[in-house]
Amino acid sequence: MNLTVNGKPATIDNQETLDITTLLTVLKVETPEYVTVELNGEILDRENFDATSVKNGDSIEFLYFMGGGN
Amino acid sequence: MSSSTRKFRFDTLLIHGGTEAGPAGATTVPIVQSSSFSHATAEELEDIFRGRRMGQVYTRINNPTTESLERRLTLLEGGIATIATASGMAAITTAVLTIARSGDEILSSSSVFGGTFSLFRDTLANYGIAARFVDPTDLAAVRGGVTDKTRLIFVETIGNPKMDVPDIGEIAAIARQAGVPLLVDATVTTPCLARGKELGADIVLHSTSKFINGTGSAIGGAIIDLGSFNWDSAKFPHFQPFVTKYRNFAFSARARKLIHKDFGACAAPMNSFLLTEGVETLALRMERHCDNALQLARFLAVHPKVQWVNYPGLPDSPYHGVASRQFGGRFGGILTFGLADKPASFRVINALTLAKNLANIGDAKTLVIHPASTICADYGPEEKGLMGVTEEMVRVSVGIEAIDDIIEDFAEALEQA
Repeated sequence: MNLTVNGKPATIDNQETLDITTLLTVLKVETPEYVTVELNGEILDRENFDATSVKNGDSIEFLYFMGGGN
Repeated sequence: MSSSTRKFRFDTLLIHGGTEAGPAGATTVPIVQSSSFSHATAEELEDIFRGRRMGQVYTRINNPTTESLERRLTLLEGGIATIATASGMAAITTAVLTIARSGDEILSSSSVFGGTFSLFRDTLANYGIAARFVDPTDLAAVRGGVTDKTRLIFVETIGNPKMDVPDIGEIAAIARQAGVPLLVDATVTTPCLARGKELGADIVLHSTSKFINGTGSAIGGAIIDLGSFNWDSAKFPHFQPFVTKYRNFAFSARARKLIHKDFGACAAPMNSFLLTEGVETLALRMERHCDNALQLARFLAVHPKVQWVNYPGLPDSPYHGVASRQFGGRFGGILTFGLADKPASFRVINALTLAKNLANIGDAKTLVIHPASTICADYGPEEKGLMGVTEEMVRVSVGIEAIDDIIEDFAEALEQA
Protein backbone atom coordinates (compact mmCIF):
# COMPACT_ATOMS: atom_id res chain seq x y z
CA MET A 1 0.00 0.00 0.00
CA ASN A 2 1.03 3.59 -0.59
CA LEU A 3 0.93 6.05 2.28
CA THR A 4 1.94 9.62 2.87
CA VAL A 5 4.17 9.71 5.96
CA ASN A 6 5.07 13.11 7.35
CA GLY A 7 4.26 14.62 3.98
CA LYS A 8 6.40 12.21 1.95
CA PRO A 9 5.31 9.17 -0.08
CA ALA A 10 6.02 5.76 1.48
CA THR A 11 5.28 2.29 0.16
CA ILE A 12 4.78 -0.79 2.30
CA ASP A 13 5.08 -3.93 0.21
CA ASN A 14 2.74 -6.91 0.47
CA GLN A 15 0.40 -5.26 2.97
CA GLU A 16 -3.10 -3.98 2.29
CA THR A 17 -3.65 -2.82 5.84
CA LEU A 18 -1.70 -2.54 9.13
CA ASP A 19 -2.63 -1.56 12.63
CA ILE A 20 -0.83 1.47 14.04
CA THR A 21 1.27 -0.47 16.56
CA THR A 22 2.64 -2.68 13.79
CA LEU A 23 3.07 0.29 11.47
CA LEU A 24 5.35 1.96 14.05
CA THR A 25 7.56 -1.14 13.98
CA VAL A 26 7.50 -1.55 10.18
CA LEU A 27 8.43 2.09 9.63
CA LYS A 28 11.06 1.88 12.42
CA VAL A 29 9.59 4.93 14.11
CA GLU A 30 12.00 6.22 16.76
CA THR A 31 11.01 6.02 20.45
CA PRO A 32 7.47 4.85 19.68
CA GLU A 33 6.53 5.26 23.35
CA TYR A 34 6.63 9.05 22.91
CA VAL A 35 5.03 9.44 19.49
CA THR A 36 1.63 10.92 18.76
CA VAL A 37 0.00 9.65 15.57
CA GLU A 38 -2.23 11.67 13.28
CA LEU A 39 -4.19 9.66 10.73
CA ASN A 40 -5.81 11.63 7.90
CA GLY A 41 -5.82 14.77 10.04
CA GLU A 42 -7.19 13.14 13.20
CA ILE A 43 -5.02 12.59 16.29
CA LEU A 44 -5.38 9.05 17.63
CA ASP A 45 -5.58 8.06 21.27
CA ARG A 46 -2.77 5.67 22.16
CA GLU A 47 -5.18 3.07 23.47
CA ASN A 48 -6.64 2.85 19.95
CA PHE A 49 -3.32 2.11 18.22
CA ASP A 50 -4.00 -1.65 18.08
CA ALA A 51 -7.56 -1.22 16.89
CA THR A 52 -6.86 1.41 14.22
CA SER A 53 -5.56 0.42 10.80
CA VAL A 54 -4.08 2.25 7.86
CA LYS A 55 -4.92 1.47 4.25
CA ASN A 56 -3.77 2.52 0.81
CA GLY A 57 -3.90 6.28 0.31
CA ASP A 58 -3.88 7.20 4.00
CA SER A 59 -1.85 10.12 5.31
CA ILE A 60 0.10 9.63 8.56
CA GLU A 61 1.90 12.21 10.65
CA PHE A 62 4.15 11.35 13.56
CA LEU A 63 4.53 14.03 16.21
CA TYR A 64 6.96 14.27 19.12
CA PHE A 65 6.69 16.64 22.03
CA MET A 66 10.36 16.24 22.91
CA GLY A 67 11.82 18.68 20.38
CA GLY A 68 12.46 22.39 20.55
CA GLY A 69 9.63 24.03 18.69
CA ASN A 70 5.97 24.61 19.39
CA MET B 1 20.31 -4.83 21.70
CA SER B 2 18.06 -2.49 23.63
CA SER B 3 17.21 -2.99 27.26
CA SER B 4 14.20 -0.68 26.92
CA THR B 5 11.56 -3.13 27.92
CA ARG B 6 8.83 -3.17 30.51
CA LYS B 7 8.94 -6.89 31.17
CA PHE B 8 11.80 -6.70 33.68
CA ARG B 9 11.11 -6.70 37.39
CA PHE B 10 11.59 -3.49 39.34
CA ASP B 11 15.09 -4.25 40.67
CA THR B 12 16.27 -5.07 37.16
CA LEU B 13 14.72 -1.93 35.71
CA LEU B 14 16.76 0.07 38.23
CA ILE B 15 19.90 -1.18 36.48
CA HIS B 16 18.86 -1.72 32.87
CA GLY B 17 15.62 0.22 32.29
CA GLY B 18 15.63 2.63 29.40
CA THR B 19 19.28 2.28 28.50
CA GLU B 20 20.80 1.65 25.11
CA ALA B 21 24.17 0.06 24.50
CA GLY B 22 26.92 2.67 24.73
CA PRO B 23 29.77 3.17 22.24
CA ALA B 24 32.49 0.51 22.16
CA GLY B 25 30.46 -1.72 24.44
CA ALA B 26 30.38 0.79 27.27
CA THR B 27 28.14 -0.43 30.09
CA THR B 28 27.58 2.95 31.70
CA VAL B 29 25.51 5.74 30.19
CA PRO B 30 27.78 7.94 28.05
CA ILE B 31 28.18 11.51 29.27
CA VAL B 32 27.30 13.59 26.23
CA GLN B 33 28.92 16.82 27.34
CA SER B 34 27.76 18.90 24.39
CA SER B 35 25.66 22.03 24.49
CA SER B 36 24.21 21.51 21.02
CA PHE B 37 23.84 18.95 18.24
CA SER B 38 24.46 19.33 14.51
CA HIS B 39 22.33 17.87 11.74
CA ALA B 40 23.18 17.02 8.15
CA THR B 41 20.42 19.01 6.51
CA ALA B 42 18.22 21.99 7.20
CA GLU B 43 15.21 19.75 6.52
CA GLU B 44 16.22 17.35 9.29
CA LEU B 45 16.50 20.09 11.89
CA GLU B 46 13.21 21.57 10.71
CA ASP B 47 11.54 18.19 11.22
CA ILE B 48 12.92 17.97 14.75
CA PHE B 49 11.70 21.45 15.62
CA ARG B 50 8.29 20.68 14.15
CA GLY B 51 8.17 17.48 16.21
CA ARG B 52 8.10 15.22 13.15
CA ARG B 53 11.11 13.26 14.30
CA MET B 54 13.12 12.67 17.41
CA GLY B 55 16.47 14.33 17.65
CA GLN B 56 18.75 16.35 19.83
CA VAL B 57 18.81 20.12 19.52
CA TYR B 58 20.31 21.85 22.52
CA THR B 59 21.00 20.57 26.03
CA ARG B 60 18.54 23.02 27.60
CA ILE B 61 15.87 21.19 25.56
CA ASN B 62 17.15 17.62 25.61
CA ASN B 63 20.36 15.63 25.86
CA PRO B 64 21.08 11.91 25.34
CA THR B 65 22.49 11.38 28.84
CA THR B 66 19.55 13.13 30.45
CA GLU B 67 17.05 11.29 28.25
CA SER B 68 18.49 8.00 29.43
CA LEU B 69 17.83 9.00 33.05
CA GLU B 70 14.35 10.20 32.07
CA ARG B 71 13.47 6.89 30.40
CA ARG B 72 14.59 4.96 33.45
CA LEU B 73 12.61 7.08 35.91
CA THR B 74 9.53 6.79 33.68
CA LEU B 75 9.73 3.01 33.84
CA LEU B 76 10.36 2.95 37.58
CA GLU B 77 7.32 5.09 38.39
CA GLY B 78 5.05 3.46 35.80
CA GLY B 79 4.66 6.76 33.96
CA ILE B 80 4.52 7.87 30.34
CA ALA B 81 7.27 10.53 30.29
CA THR B 82 9.77 12.31 32.54
CA ILE B 83 11.50 15.67 32.52
CA ALA B 84 14.77 15.79 34.43
CA THR B 85 15.51 19.21 35.86
CA ALA B 86 18.39 21.09 37.47
CA SER B 87 17.08 20.51 41.01
CA GLY B 88 14.10 19.26 42.94
CA MET B 89 12.87 22.83 43.37
CA ALA B 90 13.14 23.31 39.59
CA ALA B 91 10.98 20.21 39.12
CA ILE B 92 8.28 21.54 41.48
CA THR B 93 8.39 25.03 39.96
CA THR B 94 8.18 23.70 36.42
CA ALA B 95 5.33 21.29 37.20
CA VAL B 96 3.27 23.85 39.11
CA LEU B 97 3.75 26.63 36.53
CA THR B 98 2.77 24.22 33.77
CA ILE B 99 -0.59 23.77 35.46
CA ALA B 100 -1.42 26.95 37.39
CA ARG B 101 -1.73 30.47 36.04
CA SER B 102 -2.26 33.88 37.58
CA GLY B 103 -5.60 33.87 39.43
CA ASP B 104 -5.43 30.16 40.19
CA GLU B 105 -4.97 28.48 43.55
CA ILE B 106 -2.91 25.50 44.61
CA LEU B 107 -3.85 23.38 47.59
CA SER B 108 -0.78 22.16 49.40
CA SER B 109 0.10 20.09 52.40
CA SER B 110 1.21 22.41 55.22
CA SER B 111 4.05 20.05 56.15
CA VAL B 112 6.02 20.34 52.92
CA PHE B 113 9.76 20.95 52.81
CA GLY B 114 10.65 24.57 53.72
CA GLY B 115 11.84 25.44 50.21
CA THR B 116 8.55 24.25 48.75
CA PHE B 117 6.60 26.16 51.40
CA SER B 118 8.50 29.33 50.51
CA LEU B 119 7.94 28.82 46.77
CA PHE B 120 4.21 28.33 47.24
CA ARG B 121 3.54 30.96 49.92
CA ASP B 122 5.88 33.76 48.85
CA THR B 123 7.34 33.43 45.36
CA LEU B 124 4.32 32.18 43.44
CA ALA B 125 2.10 34.68 45.27
CA ASN B 126 4.08 37.42 43.54
CA TYR B 127 2.90 36.01 40.22
CA GLY B 128 -0.77 35.73 41.15
CA ILE B 129 -0.86 32.06 42.17
CA ALA B 130 -2.22 31.70 45.70
CA ALA B 131 -1.50 28.72 47.94
CA ARG B 132 -3.80 27.29 50.56
CA PHE B 133 -2.14 25.07 53.14
CA VAL B 134 -3.94 22.26 54.92
CA ASP B 135 -2.95 19.38 57.19
CA PRO B 136 -2.68 16.54 54.66
CA THR B 137 -3.62 13.93 57.27
CA ASP B 138 -6.94 15.71 57.90
CA LEU B 139 -9.01 14.62 54.91
CA ALA B 140 -11.90 16.91 55.83
CA ALA B 141 -9.46 19.84 55.76
CA VAL B 142 -8.14 18.75 52.37
CA ARG B 143 -11.67 18.45 51.03
CA GLY B 144 -12.60 21.81 52.54
CA GLY B 145 -9.53 23.47 51.04
CA VAL B 146 -10.67 22.86 47.48
CA THR B 147 -12.25 25.90 45.82
CA ASP B 148 -13.39 26.57 42.28
CA LYS B 149 -9.99 28.20 41.72
CA THR B 150 -7.96 25.16 42.83
CA ARG B 151 -5.91 23.75 39.97
CA LEU B 152 -3.79 21.14 41.74
CA ILE B 153 -3.25 19.38 45.06
CA PHE B 154 0.32 18.90 46.29
CA VAL B 155 1.56 16.53 49.01
CA GLU B 156 4.75 14.80 50.08
CA THR B 157 4.71 11.05 50.67
CA ILE B 158 6.28 11.69 54.08
CA GLY B 159 6.36 15.29 55.29
CA ASN B 160 9.87 16.62 55.77
CA PRO B 161 10.67 17.13 58.61
CA LYS B 162 7.23 16.66 60.22
CA MET B 163 7.29 12.95 59.28
CA ASP B 164 3.52 12.91 58.80
CA VAL B 165 2.15 10.45 56.27
CA PRO B 166 -0.97 11.41 54.32
CA ASP B 167 -3.29 8.79 52.90
CA ILE B 168 -2.47 9.45 49.29
CA GLY B 169 -5.18 7.20 47.87
CA GLU B 170 -7.82 9.19 49.78
CA ILE B 171 -6.35 12.51 48.65
CA ALA B 172 -6.25 11.21 45.08
CA ALA B 173 -9.98 10.54 45.36
CA ILE B 174 -10.55 14.13 46.54
CA ALA B 175 -8.47 15.41 43.63
CA ARG B 176 -10.43 13.31 41.15
CA GLN B 177 -13.69 14.58 42.54
CA ALA B 178 -12.43 18.16 42.26
CA GLY B 179 -11.23 17.55 38.71
CA VAL B 180 -7.65 18.57 39.48
CA PRO B 181 -4.38 16.62 39.34
CA LEU B 182 -2.59 15.28 42.41
CA LEU B 183 1.13 16.10 42.50
CA VAL B 184 3.14 13.92 44.88
CA ASP B 185 6.68 14.69 45.97
CA ALA B 186 8.08 11.20 46.55
CA THR B 187 11.66 12.25 47.24
CA VAL B 188 11.92 10.53 50.61
CA THR B 189 10.22 7.29 49.63
CA THR B 190 11.52 6.88 46.05
CA PRO B 191 9.82 4.39 43.72
CA CYS B 192 11.38 1.62 45.84
CA LEU B 193 8.87 2.20 48.66
CA ALA B 194 5.95 3.29 46.52
CA ARG B 195 5.53 3.70 42.77
CA GLY B 196 3.65 6.83 41.80
CA LYS B 197 1.18 4.96 39.64
CA GLU B 198 0.16 2.68 42.49
CA LEU B 199 -0.07 5.56 44.95
CA GLY B 200 -2.74 7.25 42.82
CA ALA B 201 -0.67 10.31 41.92
CA ASP B 202 -1.05 12.02 38.55
CA ILE B 203 2.42 13.57 38.60
CA VAL B 204 5.36 12.47 40.74
CA LEU B 205 8.19 14.80 41.68
CA HIS B 206 11.62 14.00 43.00
CA SER B 207 14.60 15.80 44.27
CA THR B 208 16.92 13.27 42.68
CA SER B 209 19.77 14.89 44.65
CA LYS B 210 18.67 12.80 47.63
CA PHE B 211 18.21 9.03 47.74
CA ILE B 212 18.26 8.58 43.95
CA ASN B 213 21.74 10.06 43.76
CA GLY B 214 22.63 8.51 47.08
CA THR B 215 26.11 9.91 47.53
CA GLY B 216 25.57 13.64 47.76
CA SER B 217 27.43 14.18 44.50
CA ALA B 218 24.86 15.88 42.26
CA ILE B 219 21.81 18.13 42.36
CA GLY B 220 18.82 17.19 40.23
CA GLY B 221 15.07 16.87 40.01
CA ALA B 222 12.48 14.99 38.02
CA ILE B 223 8.87 15.37 36.94
CA ILE B 224 7.21 12.07 36.05
CA ASP B 225 3.95 12.29 34.13
CA LEU B 226 1.84 9.24 34.93
CA GLY B 227 -0.58 10.00 32.09
CA SER B 228 -3.57 9.46 34.38
CA PHE B 229 -5.11 12.93 34.39
CA ASN B 230 -7.55 14.11 31.73
CA TRP B 231 -6.46 17.63 30.79
CA ASP B 232 -9.36 18.02 28.39
CA SER B 233 -11.27 20.09 30.93
CA ALA B 234 -12.81 23.54 31.23
CA LYS B 235 -10.52 24.12 34.23
CA PHE B 236 -7.50 23.91 31.95
CA PRO B 237 -8.24 25.85 28.75
CA HIS B 238 -4.52 26.56 28.38
CA PHE B 239 -3.98 22.83 27.85
CA GLN B 240 -6.37 22.63 24.90
CA PRO B 241 -3.76 23.05 22.12
CA PHE B 242 -1.65 20.35 23.77
CA VAL B 243 -4.61 18.02 24.30
CA THR B 244 -5.54 18.42 20.65
CA LYS B 245 -2.05 17.74 19.38
CA TYR B 246 -0.50 15.40 21.95
CA ARG B 247 -3.48 13.84 23.76
CA ASN B 248 -2.17 11.80 26.67
CA PHE B 249 1.12 13.71 26.61
CA ALA B 250 -0.58 17.09 27.05
CA PHE B 251 1.08 17.81 30.41
CA SER B 252 4.53 16.68 29.32
CA ALA B 253 4.24 18.61 26.06
CA ARG B 254 3.15 21.84 27.74
CA ALA B 255 5.83 21.46 30.42
CA ARG B 256 8.62 20.64 27.99
CA LYS B 257 7.70 23.01 25.21
CA LEU B 258 6.89 26.01 27.38
CA ILE B 259 7.89 26.17 31.03
CA HIS B 260 10.93 23.88 31.02
CA LYS B 261 12.23 25.34 27.78
CA ASP B 262 11.58 28.95 28.75
CA PHE B 263 12.76 28.88 32.36
CA GLY B 264 15.79 26.84 31.38
CA ALA B 265 16.29 24.85 34.60
CA CYS B 266 17.70 21.91 32.66
CA ALA B 267 19.70 18.97 34.00
CA ALA B 268 23.44 18.99 33.37
CA PRO B 269 24.64 15.88 31.49
CA MET B 270 27.29 15.12 34.11
CA ASN B 271 24.65 15.23 36.84
CA SER B 272 22.34 13.02 34.79
CA PHE B 273 25.16 10.49 34.57
CA LEU B 274 25.77 10.57 38.33
CA LEU B 275 22.06 10.27 39.03
CA THR B 276 21.72 7.31 36.67
CA GLU B 277 24.62 5.62 38.45
CA GLY B 278 22.80 6.22 41.72
CA VAL B 279 19.56 4.68 40.50
CA GLU B 280 21.29 1.35 39.93
CA THR B 281 21.90 0.76 43.64
CA LEU B 282 18.74 2.44 44.91
CA ALA B 283 16.92 -0.71 46.01
CA LEU B 284 19.83 -2.01 48.08
CA ARG B 285 20.46 1.38 49.63
CA MET B 286 16.81 2.03 50.48
CA GLU B 287 16.60 -1.34 52.18
CA ARG B 288 19.60 -0.46 54.35
CA HIS B 289 18.42 3.13 54.96
CA CYS B 290 15.06 1.80 56.17
CA ASP B 291 16.58 -0.95 58.32
CA ASN B 292 19.10 1.42 59.92
CA ALA B 293 16.50 4.14 60.52
CA LEU B 294 14.20 1.68 62.27
CA GLN B 295 17.01 0.42 64.49
CA LEU B 296 18.16 3.94 65.36
CA ALA B 297 14.54 4.97 66.05
CA ARG B 298 14.14 2.04 68.44
CA PHE B 299 17.39 2.94 70.21
CA LEU B 300 16.42 6.59 70.59
CA ALA B 301 12.86 5.76 71.67
CA VAL B 302 14.09 4.16 74.90
CA HIS B 303 16.98 6.52 75.58
CA PRO B 304 16.40 8.45 78.84
CA LYS B 305 17.56 11.79 77.43
CA VAL B 306 15.37 11.60 74.32
CA GLN B 307 11.96 13.21 74.85
CA TRP B 308 10.29 11.83 71.77
CA VAL B 309 11.03 10.12 68.44
CA ASN B 310 9.01 10.66 65.27
CA TYR B 311 9.43 7.83 62.80
CA PRO B 312 6.49 6.20 61.01
CA GLY B 313 8.14 2.80 61.49
CA LEU B 314 7.52 2.92 65.24
CA PRO B 315 4.22 1.31 66.19
CA ASP B 316 3.24 4.28 68.36
CA SER B 317 3.54 6.72 65.45
CA PRO B 318 0.08 7.98 64.46
CA TYR B 319 1.13 7.38 60.87
CA HIS B 320 2.33 3.80 61.32
CA GLY B 321 -0.79 2.21 59.84
CA VAL B 322 -1.07 4.29 56.69
CA ALA B 323 2.70 4.15 56.15
CA SER B 324 2.73 0.36 56.52
CA ARG B 325 0.03 0.04 53.90
CA GLN B 326 1.41 2.62 51.47
CA PHE B 327 5.09 1.78 51.64
CA GLY B 328 5.10 -2.00 51.81
CA GLY B 329 6.19 -2.30 55.43
CA ARG B 330 9.16 0.08 55.08
CA PHE B 331 9.27 3.58 56.44
CA GLY B 332 12.12 5.52 54.88
CA GLY B 333 15.50 6.71 56.07
CA ILE B 334 14.57 9.89 57.93
CA LEU B 335 13.51 10.41 61.53
CA THR B 336 13.32 13.27 63.98
CA PHE B 337 13.77 13.26 67.72
CA GLY B 338 13.51 15.78 70.52
CA LEU B 339 15.83 16.60 73.39
CA ALA B 340 15.19 18.82 76.41
CA ASP B 341 15.69 22.07 74.52
CA LYS B 342 17.63 23.78 71.73
CA PRO B 343 20.96 23.94 73.64
CA ALA B 344 20.76 20.21 74.31
CA SER B 345 20.12 19.60 70.59
CA PHE B 346 23.15 21.69 69.69
CA ARG B 347 25.35 19.87 72.21
CA VAL B 348 24.38 16.49 70.78
CA ILE B 349 24.90 17.61 67.17
CA ASN B 350 28.29 19.04 68.11
CA ALA B 351 29.30 15.80 69.83
CA LEU B 352 28.46 13.53 66.89
CA THR B 353 31.59 12.37 65.09
CA LEU B 354 30.26 10.03 62.38
CA ALA B 355 27.07 11.87 61.47
CA LYS B 356 27.60 15.03 59.42
CA ASN B 357 25.86 18.28 60.35
CA LEU B 358 24.57 19.54 57.02
CA ALA B 359 21.50 20.53 55.01
CA ASN B 360 20.73 17.45 52.97
CA ILE B 361 19.03 14.08 53.17
CA GLY B 362 19.34 10.78 51.34
CA ASP B 363 23.11 10.48 51.36
CA ALA B 364 24.83 7.16 52.05
CA LYS B 365 26.32 9.01 55.02
CA THR B 366 24.31 9.70 58.17
CA LEU B 367 23.34 13.38 58.29
CA VAL B 368 21.85 15.53 61.03
CA ILE B 369 20.52 19.05 61.24
CA HIS B 370 18.69 21.32 63.66
CA PRO B 371 15.81 22.41 61.38
CA ALA B 372 14.50 25.30 63.48
CA SER B 373 17.75 27.26 63.24
CA THR B 374 18.68 26.31 59.67
CA ILE B 375 16.35 25.13 56.91
CA CYS B 376 13.30 26.58 58.70
CA ALA B 377 15.01 29.57 60.31
CA ASP B 378 13.12 32.09 58.18
CA TYR B 379 9.74 31.01 59.51
CA GLY B 380 7.90 32.27 62.56
CA PRO B 381 6.28 30.13 65.25
CA GLU B 382 3.03 29.72 63.31
CA GLU B 383 4.68 28.40 60.16
CA LYS B 384 7.07 26.24 62.18
CA GLY B 385 4.02 24.80 63.92
CA LEU B 386 2.45 23.95 60.55
CA MET B 387 5.68 22.33 59.43
CA GLY B 388 6.02 20.43 62.70
CA VAL B 389 9.33 22.10 63.49
CA THR B 390 10.20 22.61 67.15
CA GLU B 391 13.25 24.13 68.85
CA GLU B 392 14.34 20.88 70.48
CA MET B 393 14.06 18.84 67.25
CA VAL B 394 16.96 17.11 65.51
CA ARG B 395 16.44 15.60 62.07
CA VAL B 396 18.46 12.55 61.10
CA SER B 397 18.88 11.18 57.60
CA VAL B 398 20.09 7.73 58.54
CA GLY B 399 22.90 6.50 56.31
CA ILE B 400 23.93 3.04 55.25
CA GLU B 401 26.97 2.68 57.50
CA ALA B 402 27.16 -0.22 59.96
CA ILE B 403 24.21 0.35 62.29
CA ASP B 404 26.33 -0.38 65.38
CA ASP B 405 28.64 2.52 64.46
CA ILE B 406 25.66 4.83 63.95
CA ILE B 407 24.12 3.86 67.28
CA GLU B 408 27.46 4.19 69.09
CA ASP B 409 27.87 7.68 67.64
CA PHE B 410 24.46 8.76 68.94
CA ALA B 411 24.95 6.97 72.27
CA GLU B 412 28.19 8.86 72.92
CA ALA B 413 26.79 12.19 71.73
CA LEU B 414 23.68 11.85 73.87
CA GLU B 415 25.86 11.84 76.95
CA GLN B 416 26.27 15.58 76.24
CA ALA B 417 22.51 16.22 76.09
